[in-house]
Amino acid sequence: MSVKYIPVQWNKNKYLYDGVLIVCVVLFLNIYIYLAPDALAHERAINPAVHNGRAFGACAFTMMTFILTIGPLARLDRRFLPLLYNRRHFGVLTALVALTHALTILNWYFIGGPVDKYEALLNSNLAYTQVIGFPFESLGIFALLCLGVLAATSHDFWLKFLTPPVWKALHYLIYPAYAAVVGHVMLGSGQDGHEPVFGALVIGGSVTVVSLHVIAAFLERGQGDPLAEDEGAWERVCACSEIEEGRAKIALLSSGERVAVFRHEAMLSAISNACAHQNGPLGEGRIIACLVTCPWHGFQYDVRTGRSPAPFTEKVPTYDLRLDGADVLVRTEPNPPGTPVDPVPVPGSHPEEVSA
Amino acid sequence: MTAQTVLTAVEIWCWVGLAVGVLFLLFGIHRVDEDADGAVAFRPLLIVGIVLIWPLVLWRWTVLARGRDNWQARHVPPRAVHMIAAVFLALAVGAALILSTALKQSWPDHIAPQQLNGEGSE
Repeated sequence: MSVKYIPVQWNKNKYLYDGVLIVCVVLFLNIYIYLAPDALAHERAINPAVHNGRAFGACAFTMMTFILTIGPLARLDRRFLPLLYNRRHFGVLTALVALTHALTILNWYFIGGPVDKYEALLNSNLAYTQVIGFPFESLGIFALLCLGVLAATSHDFWLKFLTPPVWKALHYLIYPAYAAVVGHVMLGSGQDGHEPVFGALVIGGSVTVVSLHVIAAFLERGQGDPLAEDEGAWERVCACSEIEEGRAKIALLSSGERVAVFRHEAMLSAISNACAHQNGPLGEGRIIACLVTCPWHGFQYDVRTGRSPAPFTEKVPTYDLRLDGADVLVRTEPNPPGTPVDPVPVPGSHPEEVSA
Repeated sequence: MTAQTVLTAVEIWCWVGLAVGVLFLLFGIHRVDEDADGAVAFRPLLIVGIVLIWPLVLWRWTVLARGRDNWQARHVPPRAVHMIAAVFLALAVGAALILSTALKQSWPDHIAPQQLNGEGSE
């Protein structure tokens, strides 16, 4: 959370996260280059420059694989949420490792001739109509471009400037990028020889990523947020008794927006379920002293106003709320972000009793 | 399309992006985002992103400068897209794995190497 933007927001947890990342990358490269060079049992010997280039490529692929498992794992089991916390730094580091791979290979294979190295790269293989011998370099270039876009737009400024939905749509580029990388590896070095270790890594890693995403997507569809019952300008969300103290009930409104109805000290308040930062699910957060904390990155909001505590400036829309017997109804049309709404007491409860 | 054409197009894209970036970072950013007003150190970090996606930057800059931002749209994440992305990933990765292993090239090690333009070559 920021008041004014700074280049990189670090804190103790992010230092730890980044430190572990860097140690893992250095370890991976050292094992690959120095400790276990025979893991790449090529049919034809490769020179050290190519070996180093492939080490960085293997590292980038492994990092992408890990990154892509974090989202569905966090969906399937909340214990993985801490990995999501600083995933953007993971992504930036991955882009840098992939760039190192690309530059190493480019500056080995495509220099020294009369043709510009970039032109030589693009012209080296034009067999786009066949599978065997397909110009796998183009798949790598595409993936590198995607990783570059994701890394270069990872600062919080971009989220606010583009809006979280547009930013997220842009960052869905990670999916075609990963598919392109799998193709790049399998049609490239994968054709070269017998690489039991890296071959298993690519096949096992990519199958794991695909499986986790498919499982998470189908589970979310099957166990998705319930639809609110449309009743004109108001929509019936749930019964009061279904909402636990300090927690929320999420419902999908007819407008396509998700509302989170919170119960705090026997009072009900409704705000948008989408965090202003990355549209994380606020309704899955816990309330502490009227502030709900987003489970993704820790942004906090007062559920009565939709505003972050000062000096922070983030705001989410609030919803008018009323009771119909024991049922909770919210107005379909949200209030502008940060609009205070008086909480509604839960029938038969006394706030003093809960807070005591 | 030749490689030279592609490279020229990339070069033009980058120069236009750089121009947009300089203009936006000097004259636009603080007018469309209050959190950027007075914050200068982070701006160089944005240059690469602006160069890469400058048409998007121009679009958002125009929308925000004219006060036409739809605040409601900020709170409707494209969650349903994940299913499409997961299915796409399964199909694309599956195709890459199957095609690359089924049609794997084999090195012609049964053919003895032959030195061209040397003694014994045809």
